[in-house]
Amino acid sequence: MRRVILGVLAAAVLVAGCGAGSTPQLPRVAPSSSSPAPSSSAPPAPGCDDNIYKSRVASYAPGASWADSATVAKIKSRGVLRAGVAADNLLFGHRNPITGVIEGFDIDVANEVAKAIFGTASGHVEYVVENFAQRIPDLQSGKVDIVADIMTINCARWGQIAFSTVYFQAGQQVLVRKNAPYKNIADLNGRKVCTAKGSTGNENVKSLYPQVRRVIVDNISDCMVLFQQGSVEGIVSDNTVLNGFAAQDPYAQIVGPKFTNEPYGLGFNKANVDFVRYVNALLAKWLDPKDGTWAAIYHKWLPGPLPNPPSTNFDRPLP
Amino acid sequence: MTSTLAAPPQTRQVVVRAARNAFAGTPGRLRLAGIATVLACLVFGLFAFVAATTRANALANARADAAQLVRVQSIRTNLVFADANLTNAFLVGGLEPPSARAAYEQGIATASKTLADAANDSTADAKVLGNVNQVITRYTGLVESARANNRLGYPLGAAYLRQATNLLRSDALPPLAALGQTEQARVNHAYSDSAGATAWLVAGLVIALVVLLVTQVWLSVRTRRTFNPPLVIATALVLVIGVAVAGVLAWSQGKAKDTRGGAYFATLGLATARIDAFDAKSAESLALIARGQGQAYNASFDNLSANVSAVLDDAARRGGADEKAAQERFRDYLAVHARVRAADDGGHWDDAVKLATGQANTVFQNFSDASGTALDRRSAQLRHNLSSARSPLPAFAWIGLIAGVAAAIAAGLGVAPRLREYR
Repeated sequence: MRRVILGVLAAAVLVAGCGAGSTPQLPRVAPSSSSPAPSSSAPPAPGCDDNIYKSRVASYAPGASWADSATVAKIKSRGVLRAGVAADNLLFGHRNPITGVIEGFDIDVANEVAKAIFGTASGHVEYVVENFAQRIPDLQSGKVDIVADIMTINCARWGQIAFSTVYFQAGQQVLVRKNAPYKNIADLNGRKVCTAKGSTGNENVKSLYPQVRRVIVDNISDCMVLFQQGSVEGIVSDNTVLNGFAAQDPYAQIVGPKFTNEPYGLGFNKANVDFVRYVNALLAKWLDPKDGTWAAIYHKWLPGPLPNPPSTNFDRPLP
Repeated sequence: MTSTLAAPPQTRQVVVRAARNAFAGTPGRLRLAGIATVLACLVFGLFAFVAATTRANALANARADAAQLVRVQSIRTNLVFADANLTNAFLVGGLEPPSARAAYEQGIATASKTLADAANDSTADAKVLGNVNQVITRYTGLVESARANNRLGYPLGAAYLRQATNLLRSDALPPLAALGQTEQARVNHAYSDSAGATAWLVAGLVIALVVLLVTQVWLSVRTRRTFNPPLVIATALVLVIGVAVAGVLAWSQGKAKDTRGGAYFATLGLATARIDAFDAKSAESLALIARGQGQAYNASFDNLSANVSAVLDDAARRGGADEKAAQERFRDYLAVHARVRAADDGGHWDDAVKLATGQANTVFQNFSDASGTALDRRSAQLRHNLSSARSPLPAFAWIGLIAGVAAAIAAGLGVAPRLREYR
């Protein structure tokens, strides 16, 4: 009998940091892209310095001819914008289990881009659901035109893809159980903490808190399953993700200050500079309080008073 | 050390001389012939008994092993059936359709019950089945977590669903598949035991006939009587009953062999086809749930459905109307599946989901019904055929034994009067 099990579903759980850790039974993770996952070892873009915020987040200036984009013309003739999004991040990109519709902050941003191209987003966006590690390979292979999936801008990634200007400011924190004795991530030294493959959270814990034992999964939502099953003590990710998790579990809380700064940009194929400039022109408009598009999306998905929108930075020289 | 065990030289000489006298000359040879014929007839009876009993036991084992194999396949079928309904219901979005929920519950319940039966029936399998049972408990736990989260509108439910369905595929289905292989090997083993039975009978028959015939030829040369009636009767008895038992053995072996090439093969094929088909239906849903990242699931679907088609084509060629119906219904489903894929690949995900949760389910249900009917019929036929191949054997084992004893008595009665003539 030639049994073809979904072999690709083989476990891909790694316990890093402390080599002798026992591998947890769960999760068996979803199929991941066969392309190699990006890592911090990728050469950063020349002239880019993560420690200088302006150098890190600078994107391409729209210029006068921004609307004249060959990539946009191609997308237009194809009829759909292919957007890489998350389906498991409650606030930014998730599949609503009740309606079956994918929605969230990032989805609205992608829809606004489609609306600018086609006049309406309806029927013109093809969502490609991705886990974090799939975002860069999918941009590089041209499988998606744009990634709207809480993607942190950094120099290593600038070496692989291109980013829009910052459209959201997040930071990394740690999620623990309500009755747990941990006040910040340093308290979790020697404990098991879950992170997602190909995420900046994983890289940051590795470099900033090497004593923390990382349990690495393909999908960040698998971290929450491990957390609820008691296999890990905490989850490190962006506060945007953790807020979504905390909203789904009254026994979970976010502790400690943001220990990193995570400026989000939309992701593009490195070659599509024209498309980046096109979207940057749109973002410059949306972020402006007088336009109100960004503010409306913020209020739709996130609680609390509206913060200042991120300022645009178009100082990156065109390649 | 040896003195206590070996007879003293004097005694040994006496014994040897007595023995030599006993078998010396014509009366001695007569005595020898008498003993040989009686023993040969008893050997025949014993060997005939062993042959028929071995065959009967082997066929009983084959039947029990085949039944266990059908049970193990049924556990797998019900698990993938439950999972296919679960993943498809998830695709619908919102509250799962009550029918899908009921189908899931029924699949799990049947799998659990069959698992308990199978574990009771075979201590050898009980450990593996116990482990699988634990996995099923974890699986249903994850499914309930997925449901609870779904009801609250939490996307975390999707993560639990993914965990559940992956757990089933990594920890429950492979050990059951391996167990299925073990059961198949057991059935094969029982069949080769069964084939070995004939050798016993042939050996017994040849020994008895040779000894009886040689004795009679020798007697007719030595005495004036051409025929020795009791020995003729013994020979006839051995020959007739030997041929009769051989006939029954050949008939049962033929029937068992036909069953293996027919109902057994068909049952196995249909069970495999159903398992792979339900697994493929799950893969269809999972590919859509993965939304744009379903390549691995699509590849899996293609592999699984190719298996199903190959098995069903073969079954339809060998089998009857039931198999042909199952084959046609699966083709209907594949046609709808092709439209699901075309819609999804063409960027019309919503249309693909509508098809996969609507028409695809209807035509798949038809396949499930048709293949289920075919499997039930074939599996009943398998049980019936192996039982009927076995049924006359115990009686013929005793007939062989009794015939051997009767022939031995006749042989003794035939030689004894000739021996008396020398006193």
